Amino acid sequence: MSGAARETRGWAGRFPGFDALDQVRHWDQVTVDVVLARTDSPGAVKFFTESEESCARALLNLLTGQDGQDSELAVPVLEMVDSRLAAGETDGWRYADMPEDGQAWRDTLAHLDADAYQRCGTPFADAAPTDQLALIQAVQDLKSADWHGLPAAHVWSLWTRYACTAFYAHPFAWAEIGFPGPAYPRGYKNAGVGKLEPFEVGDAHPSEDPVREGT
Amino acid sequence: MGPRDGVRARNESAWLLPNDGTRTNHRLRRDMRRFADEDEIDLVIVGCGAGGSVVLQRLARAGWRVVALDAGPFWDPDTDWVSDEAGSHHLYWTDPRVIAGSDPVPMGSNNSGRGVGGSMVHYAGYTPRFHPSDFATHTVDGVGADWPLSYPELRPYYEQIEQELPVAGERWPWGDPHGYPHRPHPVGGNGEVFLRGAAKLGITAKVGPVAIANGRFGNRPHCIYRGFCLQGCKVNAKASPLITHVPDALAHGAEVRSDAMVTQIAVDKHSGRALGVHYVTGGREHFQRARMVAVAGYSIETPRLLLNSASSRFPEGLCNDFDQVGRYLMVQGAPQTAGRFDAEVRMYKAPPPEVSTEAFYETDPAQDYKRGFSIQTVSPLPITWAEHVAAQGHWGAALREYVSDYVHWSCLGALCEFLPLPENRVTLAGEKDSYGLPVARFSYSQCDNDRSLAHAAQSVMEDILHAAGADEVITIQRYAHLVGGARMAEDERHGVVDRHGRSFAVPNLYITDGSVLPTQGSANPALTIMAVAARTAHHLTVGVAGGIS
Repeated sequence: MSGAARETRGWAGRFPGFDALDQVRHWDQVTVDVVLARTDSPGAVKFFTESEESCARALLNLLTGQDGQDSELAVPVLEMVDSRLAAGETDGWRYADMPEDGQAWRDTLAHLDADAYQRCGTPFADAAPTDQLALIQAVQDLKSADWHGLPAAHVWSLWTRYACTAFYAHPFAWAEIGFPGPAYPRGYKNAGVGKLEPFEVGDAHPSEDPVREGT
Repeated sequence: MGPRDGVRARNESAWLLPNDGTRTNHRLRRDMRRFADEDEIDLVIVGCGAGGSVVLQRLARAGWRVVALDAGPFWDPDTDWVSDEAGSHHLYWTDPRVIAGSDPVPMGSNNSGRGVGGSMVHYAGYTPRFHPSDFATHTVDGVGADWPLSYPELRPYYEQIEQELPVAGERWPWGDPHGYPHRPHPVGGNGEVFLRGAAKLGITAKVGPVAIANGRFGNRPHCIYRGFCLQGCKVNAKASPLITHVPDALAHGAEVRSDAMVTQIAVDKHSGRALGVHYVTGGREHFQRARMVAVAGYSIETPRLLLNSASSRFPEGLCNDFDQVGRYLMVQGAPQTAGRFDAEVRMYKAPPPEVSTEAFYETDPAQDYKRGFSIQTVSPLPITWAEHVAAQGHWGAALREYVSDYVHWSCLGALCEFLPLPENRVTLAGEKDSYGLPVARFSYSQCDNDRSLAHAAQSVMEDILHAAGADEVITIQRYAHLVGGARMAEDERHGVVDRHGRSFAVPNLYITDGSVLPTQGSANPALTIMAVAARTAHHLTVGVAGGIS
């Protein structure tokens, strides 16, 4: 099942006018500092080499759907992943059949470039968008089969874990999904189905279930 | 004296916290008694989580000279914790570990804590008891193992700890029926959905049991329902040993030495007795002498420390003469099933732990599998929810679109009693950590009974969500919790410690954490780990007062 092959609809503007950052004055200062740092201009890339950086940027932007129309609002996923890897902030485990995370990123980016050269004679970052999508899809479709000596499912897990953790840590993503973000010290007073806080915004398209077939 | 005064008389922790809106009693920490490495203290405890903290508090009260060493920080919820998912990475044990086997178990945020309070700092807060049948699954169902102690022997400790946390919930009809010291919390959207779906199907579901005070408890304030239980409770409403046992321990002369990584347990090669522990703090090596040692590093680090403490007397690892260390490590199968509603559930608004059912906990003779599962609300925050959606295969624009539907989803999680198997174990990997010690390699593979349980649990969750009105359901397969790895048994050929937590091999070495559990039931393990540790502490203080041979 591919995300990228599917036509986008509905998610942009589902919560009109809602922005978690409008509530910053109600957050505790320690949390404010941590969250707002993500909205600063991203720092210099420290972990990835120049060629790894272009490949990783293209890959991560594709995985998080940042390859198209909203590029001016993009979450700096590449820089967020780079900064984690530079600091050695792993998830605290690795599969026995994978190198440690930093090396696994370097190796898999090189493999992705190799696939791109074979398919289109360019590095992954310079391949046409349809080729990039096909190259990534090919890795996902391998499931647990071998990809350049690594189980593709574990490569996919590495890529998507880092990508999702970075993207959904960003207040831009919270605005897109109607999530108000930090909630200390205020907490919530109106929990329950169909109940909103004064600062929450209801879904403008509540019956557009993206999972339901045929909608 | 009311029941709360009774708690205060034996554990004053909640009254030792500040009541001025801050969360840490800095004076208590500053004035903490400090021992020297050369002092032969009565007991050194390795790890200051669920098990270690309870032992520390009990023995300090009994007048023992006791120190708990913890590899991580001595947390201050005000300055160290945030109301944010990604910003809570430092709460997890993220030193390198290798996972293997046919069904490898991810570690880190899922099941490993770091710092004083242990993984209870970021557990959801569910504190169910085990059922009486959990203590004899081999006899009753022909699977798993029998404990060398029975449920009635543990019951008084369950009751004590439930009061000390304290636990809130409805009267509990399952296992050994019992009530809770605090009334159930109001439920949010996710709890509502669960209760509605279960009621339609005739499945009994109850609110609780959660270790979140309902009402003020000592100087701990009421829950504000902000939904970040798994990121460390900045409110001091959710119980963790950092606020339920450590303050009282300090007030009674215990020392907590944080940022101190124990690297080896030293054993005298002639007498075979433990002499103390080697540890590293501030980049320097130390040795704390002690009359007794208690290991409470949880199911990965406890076996790893024993294996890394090999010596001429114990060439295969401390307490490992019979190849039992690291074995029978258990995780619960924890499929998580979500259902989509046109109405907005907004499951992030309330503690993730709200409602449970244990209606499927016991073996059902009509099924072809043994033992069972429980079902609870889980309420993932956006990053965890994105992982749930990504597990369906979505990525790119479709992932964004699906996740944008977050407010419409309700999410349930099962805890399936996966069986204890000897080959599910911790060994040492070739790779070394920053202390130069071999890291843990955890190999895990499921058996057929495990797979049947996970499948059955998923079906029931789908039924409940459909009955509540969900139009679509999606499931992610995952694991939860850890127990076992140094289990208690009748003898040294079947386990590492006896029914009191005392190791068979070294008479003055105890293990007082979740690794001693021989089975896991379908219950979140924190309460049982604390109760078993309280029982060991009672054995130490009363049964053998001052004179452990």
